[in-house]
Amino acid sequence: MTENVVSTVDLKKYFTSRKGVVKAVDGVNLSVAAGQVFGFLGPNGAGKTTTLRMLNTLLVPDSGQALVAGFDVLKDPGAVRCRIGYVGQSGGSDRPATGREDLVLQGRLYGMSKAEASSRAAELIDLLDLTDFADRIVYTYSGGQRRRLDVALGIMHRPQVLFLDEPTTGLDPQNRANLWKQIGKLKATGTTIFLTTHYLEEADILSDYLAIMDYGHIVAEGTPQQLKRQVSLDTIRVTLGDPAQNPAAAQVLEGLKVVKSSVLEQDCLRISVDNGEAALPQVMKALDGKDIAISNISLSTASLDDVFLEKTGRSLRDTEAEGGDR
Amino acid sequence: MKVLVDIRLMFVRKMKETLRNPIYILSSLLTPILYLALFAPLLKNLIPNTTNVLNVFVPGLLVIIAFLGGLFVGYNMIDEVRNGVVERFRVTPTSRFALLAGRVLRDMVNILVIVTVFVLISLPFGFRPDLGGFFVFVPLLCMMIITTSSFGNALGLILRDEDRLSPIVQGINLPVLLLSGMLLPMELAPTWLQVIAHFNPAYYVVEAGRLLVAGHITDIKVGEAYLFMVPLTILVVTWATRAFRNAIA
Ligand SMILES: Nc1ncnc2c1ncn2[C@@H]1O[C@H](COP(=O)(O)OP(=O)(O)OP(=O)(O)O)[C@@H](O)[C@H]1O
Ligand SMILES: [Mg+2]
Repeated sequence: MTENVVSTVDLKKYFTSRKGVVKAVDGVNLSVAAGQVFGFLGPNGAGKTTTLRMLNTLLVPDSGQALVAGFDVLKDPGAVRCRIGYVGQSGGSDRPATGREDLVLQGRLYGMSKAEASSRAAELIDLLDLTDFADRIVYTYSGGQRRRLDVALGIMHRPQVLFLDEPTTGLDPQNRANLWKQIGKLKATGTTIFLTTHYLEEADILSDYLAIMDYGHIVAEGTPQQLKRQVSLDTIRVTLGDPAQNPAAAQVLEGLKVVKSSVLEQDCLRISVDNGEAALPQVMKALDGKDIAISNISLSTASLDDVFLEKTGRSLRDTEAEGGDR
Repeated sequence: MKVLVDIRLMFVRKMKETLRNPIYILSSLLTPILYLALFAPLLKNLIPNTTNVLNVFVPGLLVIIAFLGGLFVGYNMIDEVRNGVVERFRVTPTSRFALLAGRVLRDMVNILVIVTVFVLISLPFGFRPDLGGFFVFVPLLCMMIITTSSFGNALGLILRDEDRLSPIVQGINLPVLLLSGMLLPMELAPTWLQVIAHFNPAYYVVEAGRLLVAGHITDIKVGEAYLFMVPLTILVVTWATRAFRNAIA
Protein backbone atom coordinates (compact mmCIF):
# COMPACT_ATOMS: atom_id res chain seq x y z
CA MET A 1 0.00 0.00 0.00
CA THR A 2 1.29 3.44 -0.83
CA GLU A 3 1.24 6.04 1.81
CA ASN A 4 -0.73 9.23 1.23
CA VAL A 5 1.29 12.39 1.62
CA VAL A 6 -1.66 14.67 1.17
CA SER A 7 -5.23 13.76 1.99
CA THR A 8 -8.29 15.88 2.49
CA VAL A 9 -11.79 15.15 3.63
CA ASP A 10 -14.65 17.37 2.54
CA LEU A 11 -12.50 20.50 2.44
CA LYS A 12 -14.51 23.71 2.07
CA LYS A 13 -13.80 27.39 1.73
CA TYR A 14 -16.42 29.98 0.88
CA PHE A 15 -15.67 33.65 0.38
CA THR A 16 -18.30 36.26 1.06
CA SER A 17 -18.14 39.40 -0.95
CA ARG A 18 -20.62 42.15 -1.67
CA LYS A 19 -21.87 40.24 -4.69
CA GLY A 20 -22.63 37.16 -2.64
CA VAL A 21 -20.97 33.94 -1.62
CA VAL A 22 -18.26 32.38 -3.78
CA LYS A 23 -17.99 28.67 -3.09
CA ALA A 24 -14.30 28.63 -3.99
CA VAL A 25 -13.71 25.12 -2.68
CA ASP A 26 -16.83 23.11 -2.06
CA GLY A 27 -16.19 19.72 -0.55
CA VAL A 28 -12.90 18.45 -1.93
CA ASN A 29 -11.60 14.94 -1.17
CA LEU A 30 -8.08 14.23 -2.36
CA SER A 31 -5.45 11.57 -1.81
CA VAL A 32 -1.97 12.10 -3.12
CA ALA A 33 0.34 9.09 -2.93
CA ALA A 34 3.95 9.58 -1.91
CA GLY A 35 6.38 10.16 -4.72
CA GLN A 36 3.91 10.96 -7.46
CA VAL A 37 3.33 14.06 -9.51
CA PHE A 38 -0.22 15.04 -8.77
CA GLY A 39 -1.77 17.32 -11.35
CA PHE A 40 -4.56 19.69 -10.50
CA LEU A 41 -6.26 20.92 -13.64
CA GLY A 42 -9.02 23.47 -13.90
CA PRO A 43 -10.04 26.74 -15.55
CA ASN A 44 -9.59 30.20 -13.99
CA GLY A 45 -11.43 30.53 -10.71
CA ALA A 46 -11.95 26.79 -10.31
CA GLY A 47 -10.55 26.92 -6.78
CA LYS A 48 -7.08 25.45 -7.37
CA THR A 49 -5.13 28.16 -5.60
CA THR A 50 -7.59 28.27 -2.73
CA THR A 51 -7.21 24.51 -2.22
CA LEU A 52 -3.44 24.83 -2.29
CA ARG A 53 -3.52 27.66 0.23
CA MET A 54 -5.46 25.54 2.66
CA LEU A 55 -2.99 22.70 2.24
CA ASN A 56 0.04 24.90 2.84
CA THR A 57 -1.38 26.56 6.00
CA LEU A 58 -1.96 29.99 4.47
CA LEU A 59 -5.72 29.77 4.69
CA VAL A 60 -7.93 28.23 7.34
CA PRO A 61 -10.62 25.98 5.83
CA ASP A 62 -14.27 26.68 6.74
CA SER A 63 -14.72 22.98 7.33
CA GLY A 64 -13.18 19.64 6.52
CA GLN A 65 -9.82 18.10 7.26
CA ALA A 66 -6.45 18.08 5.59
CA LEU A 67 -3.39 16.04 6.38
CA VAL A 68 -0.12 17.05 4.75
CA ALA A 69 3.12 15.10 5.25
CA GLY A 70 1.50 13.30 8.15
CA PHE A 71 0.30 16.37 10.04
CA ASP A 72 -3.02 18.13 10.36
CA VAL A 73 -2.81 21.57 8.76
CA LEU A 74 -5.08 23.02 11.43
CA LYS A 75 -3.67 21.33 14.52
CA ASP A 76 0.00 21.38 13.64
CA PRO A 77 0.71 23.99 10.95
CA GLY A 78 4.30 24.39 12.15
CA ALA A 79 5.13 20.74 11.42
CA VAL A 80 3.49 21.00 8.00
CA ARG A 81 5.46 24.16 7.14
CA CYS A 82 8.79 22.49 7.86
CA ARG A 83 8.03 19.68 5.40
CA ILE A 84 6.53 21.47 2.44
CA GLY A 85 7.72 23.81 -0.24
CA TYR A 86 5.46 26.26 -2.01
CA VAL A 87 5.82 28.22 -5.19
CA GLY A 88 2.89 30.59 -5.39
CA GLN A 89 1.15 31.74 -8.52
CA SER A 90 2.61 35.24 -8.15
CA GLY A 91 6.09 33.99 -7.37
CA GLY A 92 7.69 35.02 -4.13
CA SER A 93 11.18 36.22 -4.95
CA ASP A 94 12.22 39.42 -3.25
CA ARG A 95 12.67 42.09 -5.92
CA PRO A 96 15.36 44.28 -4.32
CA ALA A 97 17.62 41.33 -3.39
CA THR A 98 19.85 39.22 -5.61
CA GLY A 99 18.72 35.70 -6.41
CA ARG A 100 21.56 34.18 -4.44
CA GLU A 101 20.88 36.29 -1.35
CA ASP A 102 17.25 35.34 -1.51
CA LEU A 103 18.07 31.62 -1.74
CA VAL A 104 20.43 31.82 1.22
CA LEU A 105 17.81 33.69 3.24
CA GLN A 106 15.24 31.03 2.41
CA GLY A 107 17.56 28.28 3.62
CA ARG A 108 18.31 30.19 6.80
CA LEU A 109 14.61 30.62 7.53
CA TYR A 110 14.34 26.83 7.45
CA GLY A 111 17.12 26.62 9.99
CA MET A 112 20.14 25.91 7.77
CA SER A 113 23.52 27.30 8.79
CA LYS A 114 25.07 29.99 6.65
CA ALA A 115 27.52 27.57 5.05
CA GLU A 116 24.84 24.96 4.41
CA ALA A 117 22.54 27.55 2.86
CA SER A 118 25.31 28.92 0.64
CA SER A 119 26.31 25.56 -0.73
CA ARG A 120 22.70 24.51 -1.32
CA ALA A 121 22.07 27.84 -3.07
CA ALA A 122 25.07 27.25 -5.32
CA GLU A 123 23.79 23.76 -6.09
CA LEU A 124 20.36 25.06 -7.11
CA ILE A 125 21.79 27.94 -9.12
CA ASP A 126 23.61 25.31 -11.12
CA LEU A 127 20.68 22.91 -11.33
CA LEU A 128 18.12 25.46 -12.46
CA ASP A 129 20.53 27.29 -14.70
CA LEU A 130 20.50 30.59 -12.83
CA THR A 131 24.24 31.18 -13.01
CA ASP A 132 24.12 34.10 -15.44
CA PHE A 133 21.91 36.27 -13.28
CA ALA A 134 22.06 34.85 -9.74
CA ASP A 135 24.06 37.80 -8.47
CA ARG A 136 21.91 40.45 -10.08
CA ILE A 137 18.98 42.21 -8.41
CA VAL A 138 15.74 40.36 -9.12
CA TYR A 139 14.14 43.57 -10.46
CA THR A 140 16.27 43.07 -13.55
CA TYR A 141 15.17 39.48 -14.24
CA SER A 142 12.95 38.45 -17.12
CA GLY A 143 9.69 36.74 -16.22
CA GLY A 144 11.06 33.31 -17.00
CA GLN A 145 14.26 33.86 -15.05
CA ARG A 146 12.24 34.94 -12.05
CA ARG A 147 10.00 31.91 -12.33
CA ARG A 148 13.03 29.63 -12.19
CA LEU A 149 14.28 31.43 -9.11
CA ASP A 150 10.81 31.01 -7.55
CA VAL A 151 11.04 27.27 -8.07
CA ALA A 152 14.56 27.17 -6.63
CA LEU A 153 13.29 28.99 -3.54
CA GLY A 154 10.54 26.39 -3.16
CA ILE A 155 12.95 23.45 -3.12
CA MET A 156 15.79 25.10 -1.21
CA HIS A 157 15.15 23.05 1.95
CA ARG A 158 14.48 19.76 0.11
CA PRO A 159 10.81 19.55 1.03
CA GLN A 160 8.94 16.29 1.23
CA VAL A 161 6.02 17.76 -0.70
CA LEU A 162 6.33 20.58 -3.20
CA PHE A 163 3.29 22.65 -4.15
CA LEU A 164 3.63 24.43 -7.46
CA ASP A 165 0.88 26.84 -8.44
CA GLU A 166 0.99 27.22 -12.23
CA PRO A 167 4.77 26.88 -12.39
CA THR A 168 5.08 27.29 -16.14
CA THR A 169 2.66 30.12 -16.84
CA GLY A 170 4.59 32.79 -18.70
CA LEU A 171 7.51 30.58 -19.67
CA ASP A 172 8.58 30.14 -23.27
CA PRO A 173 8.41 26.59 -24.69
CA GLN A 174 12.09 25.95 -24.10
CA ASN A 175 12.00 27.00 -20.46
CA ARG A 176 8.75 25.14 -19.97
CA ALA A 177 10.33 21.95 -21.24
CA ASN A 178 13.33 22.61 -19.04
CA LEU A 179 11.15 23.02 -15.98
CA TRP A 180 9.29 19.83 -16.86
CA LYS A 181 12.66 18.10 -16.87
CA GLN A 182 13.51 19.54 -13.45
CA ILE A 183 10.17 18.38 -12.09
CA GLY A 184 11.00 14.92 -13.36
CA LYS A 185 14.39 15.03 -11.64
CA LEU A 186 12.81 16.19 -8.42
CA LYS A 187 10.33 13.36 -8.57
CA ALA A 188 13.24 10.96 -8.98
CA THR A 189 14.62 12.15 -5.64
CA GLY A 190 11.39 11.05 -4.00
CA THR A 191 9.71 14.44 -3.67
CA THR A 192 5.96 14.41 -4.03
CA ILE A 193 4.86 17.17 -6.36
CA PHE A 194 1.45 18.77 -6.31
CA LEU A 195 1.04 21.09 -9.24
CA THR A 196 -1.79 23.12 -10.64
CA THR A 197 -2.06 24.06 -14.25
CA HIS A 198 -4.57 24.99 -16.87
CA TYR A 199 -2.44 23.65 -19.67
CA LEU A 200 -3.92 20.38 -20.89
CA GLU A 201 -0.67 19.13 -22.35
CA GLU A 202 1.22 19.88 -19.18
CA ALA A 203 -1.27 18.01 -17.02
CA ASP A 204 -1.19 15.11 -19.45
CA ILE A 205 2.59 14.86 -19.73
CA LEU A 206 3.61 15.54 -16.14
CA SER A 207 0.98 13.97 -13.95
CA ASP A 208 1.00 10.45 -12.64
CA TYR A 209 -2.40 11.15 -11.27
CA LEU A 210 -4.77 13.94 -12.12
CA ALA A 211 -7.74 15.68 -10.55
CA ILE A 212 -9.88 18.01 -12.61
CA MET A 213 -11.54 20.83 -10.72
CA ASP A 214 -14.41 23.08 -11.70
CA TYR A 215 -16.47 25.49 -9.58
CA GLY A 216 -14.95 24.21 -6.36
CA HIS A 217 -15.61 20.55 -7.08
CA ILE A 218 -13.43 17.69 -8.26
CA VAL A 219 -15.24 16.60 -11.42
CA ALA A 220 -12.93 13.75 -12.41
CA GLU A 221 -9.79 12.02 -11.24
CA GLY A 222 -7.51 9.20 -12.29
CA THR A 223 -4.37 8.70 -14.30
CA PRO A 224 -4.44 10.71 -17.52
CA GLN A 225 -4.84 7.45 -19.47
CA GLN A 226 -7.71 6.24 -17.33
CA LEU A 227 -9.49 9.55 -17.63
CA LYS A 228 -9.16 9.69 -21.38
CA ARG A 229 -10.24 6.10 -21.87
CA GLN A 230 -13.07 6.52 -19.44
CA VAL A 231 -14.89 9.28 -21.18
CA SER A 232 -14.16 9.38 -24.83
CA LEU A 233 -13.17 7.49 -27.89
CA ASP A 234 -10.65 8.42 -30.51
CA THR A 235 -12.00 10.18 -33.56
CA ILE A 236 -11.18 9.65 -37.23
CA ARG A 237 -12.35 12.24 -39.72
CA VAL A 238 -12.60 11.25 -43.37
CA THR A 239 -13.28 13.57 -46.31
CA LEU A 240 -14.06 11.83 -49.56
CA GLY A 241 -13.02 12.88 -53.03
CA ASP A 242 -16.67 12.68 -54.11
CA PRO A 243 -19.18 13.75 -51.43
CA ALA A 244 -21.89 11.78 -53.21
CA GLN A 245 -20.22 8.62 -51.94
CA ASN A 246 -20.71 9.63 -48.30
CA PRO A 247 -23.73 7.39 -47.59
CA ALA A 248 -22.01 4.40 -49.17
CA ALA A 249 -18.86 5.04 -47.17
CA ALA A 250 -20.82 5.34 -43.94
CA GLN A 251 -22.41 2.01 -44.64
CA VAL A 252 -19.07 0.35 -45.25
CA LEU A 253 -17.52 1.80 -42.13
CA GLU A 254 -20.35 0.94 -39.82
CA GLY A 255 -19.83 -2.64 -40.95
CA LEU A 256 -16.35 -2.59 -39.41
CA LYS A 257 -16.02 -4.06 -35.96
CA VAL A 258 -13.70 -1.32 -34.65
CA VAL A 259 -16.10 1.48 -35.53
CA LYS A 260 -18.47 2.46 -32.73
CA SER A 261 -20.44 5.10 -34.59
CA SER A 262 -20.20 7.46 -37.50
CA VAL A 263 -21.73 10.87 -38.10
CA LEU A 264 -21.76 13.05 -41.18
CA GLU A 265 -20.44 16.48 -40.27
CA GLN A 266 -20.74 18.86 -43.25
CA ASP A 267 -18.63 17.13 -45.89
CA CYS A 268 -16.71 15.05 -43.45
CA LEU A 269 -17.45 11.67 -41.88
CA ARG A 270 -16.67 11.57 -38.19
CA ILE A 271 -16.03 8.07 -36.90
CA SER A 272 -15.63 7.16 -33.24
CA VAL A 273 -13.31 4.25 -32.55
CA ASP A 274 -11.81 2.63 -29.49
CA ASN A 275 -8.21 2.69 -30.53
CA GLY A 276 -7.49 5.16 -33.26
CA GLU A 277 -4.05 3.96 -34.26
CA ALA A 278 -5.25 0.40 -34.82
CA ALA A 279 -8.45 1.44 -36.56
CA LEU A 280 -6.95 3.90 -39.03
CA PRO A 281 -5.40 1.34 -41.44
CA GLN A 282 -8.57 -0.77 -41.34
CA VAL A 283 -10.73 2.21 -42.24
CA MET A 284 -8.47 3.09 -45.16
CA LYS A 285 -8.38 -0.49 -46.38
CA ALA A 286 -12.15 -0.91 -46.21
CA LEU A 287 -12.81 2.25 -48.21
CA ASP A 288 -10.13 1.39 -50.72
CA GLY A 289 -11.72 -2.02 -51.16
CA LYS A 290 -14.97 -0.36 -52.27
CA ASP A 291 -13.11 2.04 -54.58
CA ILE A 292 -14.09 5.04 -52.50
CA ALA A 293 -11.40 7.68 -52.87
CA ILE A 294 -10.24 9.53 -49.74
CA SER A 295 -9.18 13.14 -50.14
CA ASN A 296 -8.31 13.72 -46.50
CA ILE A 297 -8.16 11.61 -43.37
CA SER A 298 -7.15 12.58 -39.82
CA LEU A 299 -6.99 11.01 -36.43
CA SER A 300 -7.48 12.78 -33.14
CA THR A 301 -6.91 10.85 -29.99
CA ALA A 302 -8.93 11.53 -26.86
CA SER A 303 -7.64 14.51 -24.89
CA LEU A 304 -8.15 15.75 -21.39
CA ASP A 305 -10.28 18.45 -22.91
CA ASP A 306 -12.74 15.77 -23.97
CA VAL A 307 -12.77 14.64 -20.36
CA PHE A 308 -13.50 18.13 -19.18
CA LEU A 309 -16.16 18.58 -21.85
CA GLU A 310 -17.84 15.35 -20.90
CA LYS A 311 -17.90 16.18 -17.17
CA THR A 312 -18.85 19.84 -17.31
CA GLY A 313 -20.43 20.43 -20.69
CA ARG A 314 -17.79 23.08 -21.41
CA SER A 315 -14.48 22.92 -23.17
CA LEU A 316 -11.43 23.88 -21.17
CA ARG A 317 -10.01 25.52 -24.27
CA ASP A 318 -13.08 27.76 -24.48
CA THR A 319 -12.90 28.74 -20.84
CA GLU A 320 -9.25 29.49 -21.40
CA ALA A 321 -10.05 31.62 -24.39
CA GLU A 322 -12.55 33.60 -22.32
CA GLY A 323 -9.51 34.39 -20.26
CA GLY A 324 -11.09 36.15 -17.34
CA ASP A 325 -12.32 34.87 -14.04
CA ARG A 326 -15.80 33.58 -13.88
CA MET B 1 16.18 31.42 19.98
CA LYS B 2 14.48 30.91 16.64
CA VAL B 3 12.48 34.16 16.96
CA LEU B 4 15.61 36.24 17.42
CA VAL B 5 17.36 34.56 14.51
CA ASP B 6 14.29 35.15 12.34
CA ILE B 7 14.05 38.79 13.38
CA ARG B 8 17.69 39.27 12.48
CA LEU B 9 17.26 37.58 9.09
CA MET B 10 14.21 39.66 8.24
CA PHE B 11 15.86 42.84 9.50
CA VAL B 12 19.00 42.25 7.44
CA ARG B 13 16.88 41.57 4.37
CA LYS B 14 15.11 44.93 4.66
CA MET B 15 18.27 46.77 5.70
CA LYS B 16 20.06 45.60 2.56
CA GLU B 17 17.19 47.08 0.60
CA THR B 18 17.76 50.46 2.28
CA LEU B 19 21.51 50.33 1.76
CA ARG B 20 21.00 49.59 -1.92
CA ASN B 21 18.82 52.66 -2.20
CA PRO B 22 20.00 55.19 0.41
CA ILE B 23 18.41 58.04 -1.55
CA TYR B 24 15.28 57.29 0.51
CA ILE B 25 17.00 58.62 3.61
CA LEU B 26 18.09 61.79 1.87
CA SER B 27 14.64 62.45 0.45
CA SER B 28 13.05 62.02 3.88
CA LEU B 29 15.26 64.80 5.16
CA LEU B 30 14.06 67.31 2.61
CA THR B 31 10.69 68.17 4.18
CA PRO B 32 11.97 68.81 7.71
CA ILE B 33 14.89 70.84 6.39
CA LEU B 34 12.51 73.03 4.42
CA TYR B 35 10.45 73.56 7.57
CA LEU B 36 13.56 74.42 9.47
CA ALA B 37 14.81 76.89 6.88
CA LEU B 38 11.57 78.44 5.66
CA PHE B 39 9.08 78.11 8.49
CA ALA B 40 11.07 78.34 11.73
CA PRO B 41 12.04 82.00 11.12
CA LEU B 42 8.32 82.93 11.17
CA LEU B 43 7.98 81.61 14.69
CA LYS B 44 10.48 84.07 16.16
CA ASN B 45 7.86 86.82 16.33
CA LEU B 46 4.93 84.55 17.12
CA ILE B 47 6.26 83.11 20.33
CA PRO B 48 8.08 86.05 21.85
CA ASN B 49 8.38 84.71 25.39
CA THR B 50 10.58 81.75 24.47
CA THR B 51 14.29 82.25 24.47
CA ASN B 52 15.05 79.50 21.95
CA VAL B 53 12.52 79.02 19.16
CA LEU B 54 14.20 75.95 17.78
CA ASN B 55 13.99 74.17 21.11
CA VAL B 56 10.23 74.47 20.68
CA PHE B 57 10.11 73.75 16.99
CA VAL B 58 12.63 70.96 16.42
CA PRO B 59 11.05 68.41 18.81
CA GLY B 60 7.82 68.82 16.81
CA LEU B 61 9.66 68.21 13.56
CA LEU B 62 11.30 65.12 15.02
CA VAL B 63 7.88 63.77 15.90
CA ILE B 64 6.70 64.49 12.33
CA ILE B 65 9.68 62.55 11.00
CA ALA B 66 8.95 59.62 13.32
CA PHE B 67 5.24 59.66 12.62
CA LEU B 68 5.37 59.95 8.83
CA GLY B 69 8.35 57.64 8.49
CA GLY B 70 6.26 54.79 9.88
CA LEU B 71 2.81 55.64 8.63
CA PHE B 72 3.49 55.23 4.92
CA VAL B 73 5.32 51.90 4.97
CA GLY B 74 2.08 50.15 3.96
CA TYR B 75 2.75 50.87 0.30
CA ASN B 76 5.93 48.83 0.34
CA MET B 77 4.02 46.09 2.13
CA ILE B 78 1.41 46.01 -0.63
CA ASP B 79 4.19 45.65 -3.19
CA GLU B 80 5.53 42.63 -1.36
CA VAL B 81 2.08 41.09 -0.97
CA ARG B 82 1.55 41.49 -4.68
CA ASN B 83 4.88 39.86 -5.53
CA GLY B 84 4.04 36.90 -3.31
CA VAL B 85 6.95 37.59 -0.97
CA VAL B 86 4.80 37.75 2.14
CA GLU B 87 2.97 34.57 1.17
CA ARG B 88 6.28 32.84 0.59
CA PHE B 89 7.56 33.77 4.05
CA ARG B 90 4.31 32.79 5.69
CA VAL B 91 4.62 29.26 4.29
CA THR B 92 8.04 28.90 5.94
CA PRO B 93 8.30 28.15 9.67
CA THR B 94 9.43 31.76 10.25
CA SER B 95 7.98 33.35 13.36
CA ARG B 96 5.02 35.59 12.47
CA PHE B 97 6.21 38.17 14.96
CA ALA B 98 9.61 38.21 13.24
CA LEU B 99 7.97 38.95 9.89
CA LEU B 100 6.62 42.14 11.42
CA ALA B 101 9.49 42.95 13.78
CA GLY B 102 12.20 42.71 11.10
CA ARG B 103 10.44 45.37 9.07
CA VAL B 104 9.66 47.60 12.03
CA LEU B 105 13.24 47.48 13.27
CA ARG B 106 14.53 48.44 9.86
CA ASP B 107 12.15 51.40 9.80
CA MET B 108 13.32 52.36 13.26
CA VAL B 109 16.98 52.30 12.26
CA ASN B 110 16.23 54.31 9.11
CA ILE B 111 14.28 56.93 10.97
CA LEU B 112 16.75 57.20 13.82
CA VAL B 113 19.45 57.88 11.25
CA ILE B 114 17.28 60.61 9.79
CA VAL B 115 16.59 62.00 13.27
CA THR B 116 20.29 62.09 14.08
CA VAL B 117 21.24 63.81 10.86
CA PHE B 118 18.44 66.31 11.31
CA VAL B 119 19.46 67.15 14.86
CA LEU B 120 23.02 67.72 13.66
CA ILE B 121 21.74 70.03 10.93
CA SER B 122 19.62 71.95 13.45
CA LEU B 123 22.53 72.68 15.77
CA PRO B 124 24.06 75.47 13.65
CA PHE B 125 20.56 76.99 13.30
CA GLY B 126 20.47 77.36 17.08
CA PHE B 127 18.94 74.14 18.41
CA ARG B 128 20.36 73.59 21.93
CA PRO B 129 18.86 70.46 23.47
CA ASP B 130 19.50 69.35 27.02
CA LEU B 131 21.46 66.15 26.49
CA GLY B 132 19.94 64.11 29.32
CA GLY B 133 16.46 65.26 28.37
CA PHE B 134 17.06 64.39 24.73
CA PHE B 135 17.96 60.82 25.63
CA VAL B 136 14.69 60.48 27.50
CA PHE B 137 12.94 61.83 24.39
CA VAL B 138 14.46 59.24 22.04
CA PRO B 139 12.53 56.24 23.46
CA LEU B 140 9.31 58.17 22.93
CA LEU B 141 10.26 58.73 19.30
CA CYS B 142 11.10 55.03 18.96
CA MET B 143 7.70 54.03 20.32
CA MET B 144 6.12 56.44 17.88
CA ILE B 145 8.01 54.77 15.01
CA ILE B 146 7.17 51.26 16.21
CA THR B 147 3.51 52.16 16.51
CA THR B 148 3.12 53.81 13.13
CA SER B 149 5.32 51.31 11.28
CA SER B 150 3.47 48.32 12.76
CA PHE B 151 0.18 49.99 11.98
CA GLY B 152 1.22 50.90 8.43
CA ASN B 153 2.58 47.43 7.68
CA ALA B 154 -0.45 45.62 9.05
CA LEU B 155 -2.80 47.95 7.22
CA GLY B 156 -1.03 47.26 3.93
CA LEU B 157 -1.23 43.55 4.58
CA ILE B 158 -4.92 43.65 5.41
CA LEU B 159 -6.04 46.02 2.65
CA ARG B 160 -3.69 44.77 -0.09
CA ASP B 161 -4.64 47.69 -2.31
CA GLU B 162 -3.19 51.21 -2.57
CA ASP B 163 -6.58 52.69 -3.37
CA ARG B 164 -7.95 51.49 -0.08
CA LEU B 165 -4.81 52.29 1.91
CA SER B 166 -4.44 55.89 0.73
CA PRO B 167 -7.66 57.36 2.14
CA ILE B 168 -6.95 55.80 5.52
CA VAL B 169 -3.35 56.92 5.96
CA GLN B 170 -4.11 60.35 4.50
CA GLY B 171 -7.16 60.58 6.72
CA ILE B 172 -4.99 59.90 9.76
CA ASN B 173 -2.01 61.94 8.66
CA LEU B 174 -3.35 65.47 8.60
CA PRO B 175 -5.55 65.53 11.73
CA VAL B 176 -2.82 63.90 13.80
CA LEU B 177 -0.26 66.45 12.62
CA LEU B 178 -2.56 69.44 13.03
CA LEU B 179 -3.69 68.38 16.48
CA SER B 180 -0.24 67.59 17.78
CA GLY B 181 0.93 71.14 18.16
CA MET B 182 3.96 70.24 16.04
CA LEU B 183 3.94 73.50 14.14
CA LEU B 184 2.52 75.81 16.79
CA PRO B 185 2.04 75.07 20.48
CA MET B 186 -1.44 73.87 21.34
CA GLU B 187 -1.67 76.54 24.05
CA LEU B 188 -2.61 78.89 21.22
CA ALA B 189 -5.64 76.72 20.42
CA PRO B 190 -9.20 77.16 21.72
CA THR B 191 -10.25 74.84 24.52
CA TRP B 192 -12.28 72.40 22.38
CA LEU B 193 -9.27 71.84 20.13
CA GLN B 194 -7.06 71.25 23.15
CA VAL B 195 -9.52 68.67 24.43
CA ILE B 196 -9.46 66.76 21.17
CA ALA B 197 -5.67 66.93 21.11
CA HIS B 198 -5.56 64.90 24.31
CA PHE B 199 -6.67 61.85 22.30
CA ASN B 200 -3.70 62.24 20.00
CA PRO B 201 -0.54 60.29 20.83
CA ALA B 202 1.58 62.72 18.83
CA TYR B 203 0.38 65.56 21.05
CA TYR B 204 1.80 63.92 24.17
CA VAL B 205 5.10 63.14 22.50
CA VAL B 206 5.48 66.67 21.16
CA GLU B 207 4.67 68.24 24.53
CA ALA B 208 7.05 65.91 26.35
CA GLY B 209 9.71 66.47 23.69
CA ARG B 210 9.66 70.23 24.21
CA LEU B 211 9.99 69.87 27.96
CA LEU B 212 12.73 67.28 27.70
CA VAL B 213 14.75 69.29 25.25
CA ALA B 214 14.52 72.17 27.71
CA GLY B 215 15.81 69.88 30.46
CA HIS B 216 12.56 69.37 32.43
CA ILE B 217 12.95 65.62 32.77
CA THR B 218 10.75 65.23 35.82
CA ASP B 219 7.79 67.17 34.45
CA ILE B 220 4.46 65.36 34.85
CA LYS B 221 3.82 65.67 31.10
CA VAL B 222 6.83 63.47 30.37
CA GLY B 223 5.31 60.78 32.55
CA GLU B 224 2.00 61.25 30.78
CA ALA B 225 3.63 60.72 27.41
CA TYR B 226 5.20 57.46 28.55
CA LEU B 227 1.93 56.39 30.13
CA PHE B 228 0.17 56.97 26.83
CA MET B 229 2.81 55.57 24.47
CA VAL B 230 3.82 52.34 26.22
CA PRO B 231 0.34 50.73 26.24
CA LEU B 232 -0.42 52.11 22.78
CA THR B 233 2.76 50.56 21.35
CA ILE B 234 2.01 47.18 22.94
CA LEU B 235 -1.57 47.30 21.69
CA VAL B 236 -0.68 48.17 18.11
CA VAL B 237 2.17 45.65 17.90
CA THR B 238 -0.08 42.90 19.23
CA TRP B 239 -2.76 43.77 16.74
CA ALA B 240 -0.26 43.94 13.87
CA THR B 241 1.27 40.57 14.80
CA ARG B 242 -2.20 39.07 14.72
CA ALA B 243 -2.68 40.52 11.27
CA PHE B 244 0.51 38.78 10.13
CA ARG B 245 -0.72 35.54 11.63
CA ASN B 246 -4.17 35.62 10.04
CA ALA B 247 -3.74 37.44 6.76
CA ILE B 248 -4.92 35.80 3.57
CA ALA B 249 -2.02 37.41 1.72
N1 LIG C 1 -9.68 36.24 -0.76
C1 LIG C 1 -10.72 36.05 -1.57
N2 LIG C 1 -11.87 36.73 -1.40
C2 LIG C 1 -12.93 36.55 -2.20
N3 LIG C 1 -12.96 35.67 -3.21
C3 LIG C 1 -11.86 34.94 -3.44
C4 LIG C 1 -10.68 35.08 -2.63
N4 LIG C 1 -9.74 34.23 -3.09
C5 LIG C 1 -10.30 33.58 -4.13
N5 LIG C 1 -11.58 34.00 -4.34
C6 LIG C 1 -12.50 33.49 -5.37
O1 LIG C 1 -12.54 32.09 -5.26
C7 LIG C 1 -12.62 31.50 -6.54
C8 LIG C 1 -11.50 30.49 -6.70
O2 LIG C 1 -10.28 31.19 -6.80
P1 LIG C 1 -8.88 30.47 -6.99
O3 LIG C 1 -7.84 31.53 -6.92
O4 LIG C 1 -8.79 29.35 -6.04
O5 LIG C 1 -8.98 29.93 -8.47
P2 LIG C 1 -7.89 29.19 -9.37
O6 LIG C 1 -8.44 27.87 -9.73
O7 LIG C 1 -6.57 29.22 -8.71
O8 LIG C 1 -7.87 30.10 -10.67
P3 LIG C 1 -6.66 30.59 -11.61
O9 LIG C 1 -6.44 29.55 -12.63
O10 LIG C 1 -7.21 31.84 -12.22
O11 LIG C 1 -5.47 30.84 -10.73
C9 LIG C 1 -12.59 32.63 -7.54
O12 LIG C 1 -13.90 32.90 -7.95
C10 LIG C 1 -12.01 33.77 -6.76
O13 LIG C 1 -12.49 35.00 -7.23
MG1 LIG D 1 -4.79 30.03 -9.10
